[in-house]
Amino acid sequence: MAIISFSHVYKTYPGEVTALSEISLDIREGELIFLAGPSGAGKSTLLKLIAGIERPSGGVLQVSGQDMRKVNRTTLPFLRRKLGLILQQHRLLNDRHVLANVMMPLIVSGTDLRVASQRAEVALERVGLSAKAAALPMTLSGGEQQRVSIARAIVHKPRIILADEPTANLDRDSGKLVTDMLAAFNAAGVTCVMSTHDERLLRGADRVVQLSHGRIIAMQSAGSEVGV
Amino acid sequence: MNWLREHHLALRSALARLRAAPGSFVFNVLVIALALILPLAGLTLLDNLRPLSHALPVEPEISLFLSVDTTRERARAIGDELHAAATSAGLAVKVDFIPREKALDALKTRAGLNEVVAALGTNPLPDAYIVRLAGRGDPAASQRFEQLADSYRQLAAVDTVQLDAAWVRRLVALMRLAEVALWLVAAALAGVVLAVVFNTIRLQVITQTEEIAVTRLLGATDSFVSRPFYYMGGLLGLCSGALALLGVVGALTLLNAPVAELAGLYGASFRLAPLDVRSTAMLLLASTGLGVTGALLSVWQVLRH
Repeated sequence: MAIISFSHVYKTYPGEVTALSEISLDIREGELIFLAGPSGAGKSTLLKLIAGIERPSGGVLQVSGQDMRKVNRTTLPFLRRKLGLILQQHRLLNDRHVLANVMMPLIVSGTDLRVASQRAEVALERVGLSAKAAALPMTLSGGEQQRVSIARAIVHKPRIILADEPTANLDRDSGKLVTDMLAAFNAAGVTCVMSTHDERLLRGADRVVQLSHGRIIAMQSAGSEVGV
Repeated sequence: MNWLREHHLALRSALARLRAAPGSFVFNVLVIALALILPLAGLTLLDNLRPLSHALPVEPEISLFLSVDTTRERARAIGDELHAAATSAGLAVKVDFIPREKALDALKTRAGLNEVVAALGTNPLPDAYIVRLAGRGDPAASQRFEQLADSYRQLAAVDTVQLDAAWVRRLVALMRLAEVALWLVAAALAGVVLAVVFNTIRLQVITQTEEIAVTRLLGATDSFVSRPFYYMGGLLGLCSGALALLGVVGALTLLNAPVAELAGLYGASFRLAPLDVRSTAMLLLASTGLGVTGALLSVWQVLRH
């Protein structure tokens, strides 16, 4: 059963710039998928389409049973609450301490503050940052900020985690730590879609989708490779 | 319960944002309070003057003072002539005779005049009549009433005739005009308040663009994003309204001493009172409403992009 389904999806930006073309891809629940390819291949755009940050210009995209063409300002927030987003730039709020940042997905969905705080502490513990709960994000290293970002992405127990280059700007050890964490969440049943251009990270994936110039050029399942 | 929690959270968020920049908030409150203080002061003044104007006779009234040497029999007989003249002019009137003794008693009861009257020795006041037009609001009757006053001036034994309604009508008309003018000024200044709140909230939204973008990515609805700004607008309006009302009360306190002194010179006691609790609550509600409306317009304008 596909939790994310692309069918002949394309995305163009004003000025006839084609970011994605003829994307057909089914992502099953519980899969760990890597989107690989060089910069400008369309990895981030594909993740943005799933998160509803961008709209497909054509084709059909379904996320968690919802047709993204029909999603509007009212329904999009409820879809996003099923997602955990890990962004390359972390996008943590620097005027709030780490715990408050991690609590955010729970707060926006109306969870009681005390419950949100307890769950955020658990999430921080899972990423090994309990001691930094009261710190401001800007005082943390890049790797630590990314781990806060991961804690924020998992705190509300999402069905899907979308990670856009989560290891970019991190040293090798921090990168390994981050991918191991995401693999652990995936092992717990969460669907993970991760973009990367670091080939070393691709080994643990269920599937690797190779993108180039906005097209899928190859799809490699664990143990096999399929050209497109 | 969830609804209550969301509003509690929004209020906390708004207060946190105000605490983060208290100087800016205080300055904006001052600006809005200054815009509000003029219409509030005007409303308070009108509220004080309205009971006075209502106590004054608005219906046309003629006061006739007879010659001092007129005998009581002749004075009483003139009453019939006054009725007859009014009837022939097609006017229904009420005629009251005021004997000079009664007028003197009334004068004595006025503060500070008892000794003056006693010093005179004799009663210097004449017998008098008050003729009132029965029914009001008919301009043609008012005009005929003025002609009736002219005809009374021709009567023998009548010394002075005063038509007393005109100045009262002018005062009432003036107060109505002042009230309308005040509402127009209030409407213009409400526009100023809206503009100030609009701009303040717009800047606040722009400052928090990143936070708004992140919370939206995490699943925040438009209501969740907007609500703290509505509270900020409401708090701006409420604090400004309260400050403006305090300013008016302060001004009244300063004015009351000279006003009481002036009223005392006319043998009256008069104090300017602040607006009652109901009016105060209504005005605070209105200023809060203006703040929320300004925030609504601003958030809608900024967030729709």
